[in-house]
Amino acid sequence: MQSIQFAVLLGVVIILFLANGLISIKKYSQQVSLYDQRVSQSYQNPSTVFFNLYRKPSPLLFMAEGGDKYRPYGYTLKPKGVLDALPSNPLNFKLPDIPELDWSFIIKIILSLYVILLGYASISGEKEQGTLGLVLSNSIGRIKLLVAKYLSILLTVVVPLVTGLVFSLIIIGIFNPKILTFNVLSRVLVMLFLTLVYLSAFALLSLMISSLIHRSSLVLLVLLALWVLFAVIIPNASDVLSQRFSKIPSEYQMAKREEPMIKQQVWARIDEIREKAGRGEIKTEEELKKETDRAFEEGQEGINSHYKNYENAMKQRAATAQNMSRISPTALFQYASENISQTGVKSEEHFIEDINNYADIYDNYILKKVGKLVGTSSWQFSSTIEVNGKSVNIESPNPVEYQGDKSDFPHFVESQTSLARSLRDALFDIAGLIVWNLILASLAFSAFLRADVR
Amino acid sequence: MIWTIVKREMLEYLKSAKFLIGLAITLVLITFSTIININDFKQRHQDYLNAQQEMKSDSFRVQVYRPPQVLSILIQGYDRKLGNRIELTYLNIPAQPSGYMGQLTSQHHRYLAGFSAVDFAFVVRVVLSLMVIFLAYNAISEEKTHGTLKLMLANRLPRDQLLLGKFIGGLFVVMGSLVISTIVSLLIILFNPAISLASSDWARILGLLGISALYLICFYTLSLFISVVVSRPSIALLVLLQLWIFLIIIYPNLSVLAAENLYNLPSEQVIEKRKETAFQPYNEEFTRVTRAFHDAVEKGDVPNELALRNVELWSIKAEKNYEVDREFGNCLSHQMNLAQTLSILSPAVLYDQAENRLARTGMAEFERFMDGVYRHWQKLVEWQKLRRIDIEAYRKTKLLDFAYPSETTAYGFVTTMPQWVILFLFSLILFTLAYTAFLRKDVR
Repeated sequence: MQSIQFAVLLGVVIILFLANGLISIKKYSQQVSLYDQRVSQSYQNPSTVFFNLYRKPSPLLFMAEGGDKYRPYGYTLKPKGVLDALPSNPLNFKLPDIPELDWSFIIKIILSLYVILLGYASISGEKEQGTLGLVLSNSIGRIKLLVAKYLSILLTVVVPLVTGLVFSLIIIGIFNPKILTFNVLSRVLVMLFLTLVYLSAFALLSLMISSLIHRSSLVLLVLLALWVLFAVIIPNASDVLSQRFSKIPSEYQMAKREEPMIKQQVWARIDEIREKAGRGEIKTEEELKKETDRAFEEGQEGINSHYKNYENAMKQRAATAQNMSRISPTALFQYASENISQTGVKSEEHFIEDINNYADIYDNYILKKVGKLVGTSSWQFSSTIEVNGKSVNIESPNPVEYQGDKSDFPHFVESQTSLARSLRDALFDIAGLIVWNLILASLAFSAFLRADVR
Repeated sequence: MIWTIVKREMLEYLKSAKFLIGLAITLVLITFSTIININDFKQRHQDYLNAQQEMKSDSFRVQVYRPPQVLSILIQGYDRKLGNRIELTYLNIPAQPSGYMGQLTSQHHRYLAGFSAVDFAFVVRVVLSLMVIFLAYNAISEEKTHGTLKLMLANRLPRDQLLLGKFIGGLFVVMGSLVISTIVSLLIILFNPAISLASSDWARILGLLGISALYLICFYTLSLFISVVVSRPSIALLVLLQLWIFLIIIYPNLSVLAAENLYNLPSEQVIEKRKETAFQPYNEEFTRVTRAFHDAVEKGDVPNELALRNVELWSIKAEKNYEVDREFGNCLSHQMNLAQTLSILSPAVLYDQAENRLARTGMAEFERFMDGVYRHWQKLVEWQKLRRIDIEAYRKTKLLDFAYPSETTAYGFVTTMPQWVILFLFSLILFTLAYTAFLRKDVR
């Protein structure tokens, strides 16, 4: 434990965690007030045409923000389960894109680097000074020595880590004690465990390289190269790589197809109906309306699914990018901590599941009140068709607003993700981290056992 | 004498493992990132051209597309993140471009928002700066621990020459790696027939190279200084790495966070209120005229004056809204400027600003584009008014294609002057510090 090194580490970590506590508490209360405002507004006058559902901000944003600021703050639910994403909370797009200062950032970038700085000289440094041979000439086994080194590195990091966590929690507790429920605290404990597993991987990595290479400056260089690779390059570059592997048309190409699709899927069918009416196969106005309504609705569903497919493809691409970055322990740690904090992609998926469940209730309610279920779409079409020598105005159908009493409007309840479920979501990532640890541990031991200690 | 030291230093560096590892990583990253970014740029450029060809404007809806910048291959900046299409009508002028799908549906890029780019700027800012630290951290302290410093100075070698020789020798190596990586990425670009660089682009690339060199010199002099002051090489390296992570990651991020929290932005409701009050004087007339216009259209007989006033009022409404939006945009700029001022001591931030400016992928270019859009919208409104005044003249004239004046290269360089000067001052100060510290140093 070099004393200056340790003091710097302690200082930096405490400052960062304090900043984290202050910033996240402010952000969380802002988000909660926005959320409350929006929810009360949407229930004031609920509609049977569309209904806005908002995502409750996770109290654990301070642990892992998980790209929450880019996500929509809710969805607009339309009849027949059609979902449109609302925008994200306002964001200054002119500011440089910086990573959120959450626990996972402090741990995955700063603390992992400090683990390397603490551990790179543990074997090679002793060897350079000639003390390694002396230590081993006593009755200390090599394995014992390595374990002791490993534990000392981890302990040296754990002290500032725990101090920082406590400071951050104290600040949060002072300003908003309601956040610190049993659920949150148990998740904090899981996070602490995850952190230990993650940092232990870097400690083992340092020990391994340190026993393989004799010059400690070279050890540090190799370790830093690996750190840049794992913590910076792989998580960032995986997106551009996934772009190469997934063949998704660009947004422009998708937008271009919209017009021909409308022509094909909507107007072609309307033309057919027009011909039918001309031949006298459709006799009455009601019959015509029924035919055209169906044509319009199905056409619009087709276009909707065109957009939906694109969105799913983009989601798939993002998932590929994430999966590719999972080679790096840093990415594994990031995704696991997002799951534990109920942020990130998985929590979005759970939210959409909840909405889909609610969509059935909403549709039933509309059926009960209005009597029929009509889908909405962003497109409006109208034209005229002649039936029996009379020209009839046809229009794409629209949902009807129920004018009567809506006090029995069904409430949307977001399901609580239990800790067990979060752990299940994070299982793969946690397992990946443990595998990294096992591999690195065996490599470190075999490298040290064969090392020439003179 | 000084050249003997320069030569010796260069050879020492060139055969060291740290140099080889650093150069290898740099070259691999540069090659991959350039190839990937070229493909990305080609796609965006093709889309831009196709959009202009295929998604044409009509007399009511005018489409404006934002061209991707060719230098975004090297410096991504904001170029990929900002939208590329704006739809103008005399009823509305959006404050921000959207994706090709339009305002409401273009949200798909959010899935990829968290990942950032790996480009030339990233390689210089992170990888090469780290390599520079590794090259120079033990320039003096290693000689001292080995005892060679004393030996050297026992000869008739002045101290200043020794330090200068070491400085120049290392500088050649650092500049060499920078130039090699630049040449590699430029070769890849040149061998791509789809991409053509204008002569002004070459001037800008030279500027990019220059500011990168200055940035690396900053870190080089810093390492030299620490190496003189701290006697043990391992401690010097630890100090430098901590300074590096502070200057590149912690300090810039904290200043952005501070700016976000110190400078509060007006909320959406406030903006809506402002828009309402701005249009207040016209409100009454607006309701009257639009109703009259609506009735006249129903009847099928619209007097020209009424139609003209209708367009005028709608465009005033759009303009007032736009002015409020622009004011809000200024608030965003203020916040950004505050963040930049707070982080002025970080070479990484200065470097990024200058690079974005020179590559035309920063906010300045975006504002320039948006000003062009506003002027284009004014022309559109005039044209729409002409339709109500003189329909014949309206039929004869056509709305010109959208274009906005490009920034001259000289102006681009002038605006990055502060960054050049500050980075140069940093290097100068650090070198002077290293120099004075070395003159007073105990070399035994």
